[in-house]
Amino acid sequence: MGWSWLILLLATYPWLLGADLASDALASSSLVVFLSGACLVAPCRRLKRWQCVLFAAGLGFLFEARRPIPDGVLALTLVAVAIFLSSNRPLLRSTPRMLQGAAIVNVGACLVWYLASAFSSSAPSAGVAGHLVGQLLLAGVVGIVGLVPVALTQNAVMDRAGVPPAPDQP
Amino acid sequence: MDQNRQGARASYVALAVFVAAWILLPAAVRRFNREAFVEFQAPALHLLGKSRDLATFWEKKSRSAEELAAAGRDLARINAALELKLKAMEDVRRENTRLREVTRYNVPTEYLSVVARVATRDSSSWWQRIVIRKGRNDGIRPGAPVVFGDTVVGRVTAVHLTTSEVDLVTSPGFRCTAYLEGDDQNRIVLINGVAANSLGTAKARVSVIPYDYLLPAGTPARVTTTGMGGVFPSGLTLGYLDGGAYATQVGNFKESLLVPTRDLYNLQEVSVLVPIHQTPGEALMQGDQFQ
Repeated sequence: MGWSWLILLLATYPWLLGADLASDALASSSLVVFLSGACLVAPCRRLKRWQCVLFAAGLGFLFEARRPIPDGVLALTLVAVAIFLSSNRPLLRSTPRMLQGAAIVNVGACLVWYLASAFSSSAPSAGVAGHLVGQLLLAGVVGIVGLVPVALTQNAVMDRAGVPPAPDQP
Repeated sequence: MDQNRQGARASYVALAVFVAAWILLPAAVRRFNREAFVEFQAPALHLLGKSRDLATFWEKKSRSAEELAAAGRDLARINAALELKLKAMEDVRRENTRLREVTRYNVPTEYLSVVARVATRDSSSWWQRIVIRKGRNDGIRPGAPVVFGDTVVGRVTAVHLTTSEVDLVTSPGFRCTAYLEGDDQNRIVLINGVAANSLGTAKARVSVIPYDYLLPAGTPARVTTTGMGGVFPSGLTLGYLDGGAYATQVGNFKESLLVPTRDLYNLQEVSVLVPIHQTPGEALMQGDQFQ
């Protein structure tokens, strides 16, 4: 089904909103609860490559829209990750592999937007290394903890949308 | 398998071409794209804010009659005290008007106050922002100061149809001039937000503090706006100096940190002071409001 990526994006949005709510609660510690990377893993097992690309771009632009991140940095990074994952589906063949993937993708994407923001910011970056480590650790934990509920929602939506299931032995 | 590899290679090439096109595209296209995604999310943010208000409403409605009576009694006392203050202010206002007439002082740009509820807060090392539930439809313009009472909260950086983004005083993009309490010569200092590098409350930096400036004993020094630059009205509180001031590397001036007066992340409602007449700085802000 051609529009399944859009339906999936709309179904994933409440989770992104939930992450924004959690960021709101953590605002005094200057930490962002970043989930967009983890949301990309489950669809990459089942959607076609071009659908994954559009889904990833949507995820990235949704995160970037309200934040002072250079235009397209996160979205294009997620698109590159989506192409890689959808071309190497055996990497995501089991749940432990998916958890690893979610942690790596989430931390990597978090690092990209953090560095892009640092690059475009006029403020001096001295002494933010500790904060960056904290942000990346949080992204890793959120990626692992958030993957299962997000993937369950996404799989249910993909089942309803008629997307073929992921092969057991790809 | 080869087909898969070829497809992947073609996708990477297409992505590289798209990245090049994205960089070369006019800024208006990227701006339109960003605006479209913001407007897509706006209803959800409104819903979020309104559900929070509803939760607060029901929480307050569940209070007992005794609690409400006690709150009413406290409010009546506060009202009485404020009425007295109001009368004293009326005398000050008359005196102010008389002095302005005598000196033929030009009244600075007047502001229209727009009260807005806070939808969400978002903060990282590189930005400290709140999103408010008022936007272009309500007359808010980029660059407008945002206050709570007589305390500066921040400045509007981006305006959308029904929401606006506000850079807080502690955000690295925030800059303004200020006076320090206890400095009889009213020398100007600079305030700018700093990248948050700890898990504690974000602070701003106060720089160009005169070397001979001495902190008032006993109480923390209040930092107030100067009114110069045409963004913030004068006399608004930005915060307090945090502890002592330390000398800069050059040694001609001192620096210190600014602690905001209020907990900026617990505000539920703020006022946006929209200048009635467009200020020159607004034209500049409109150009880079999506940066």
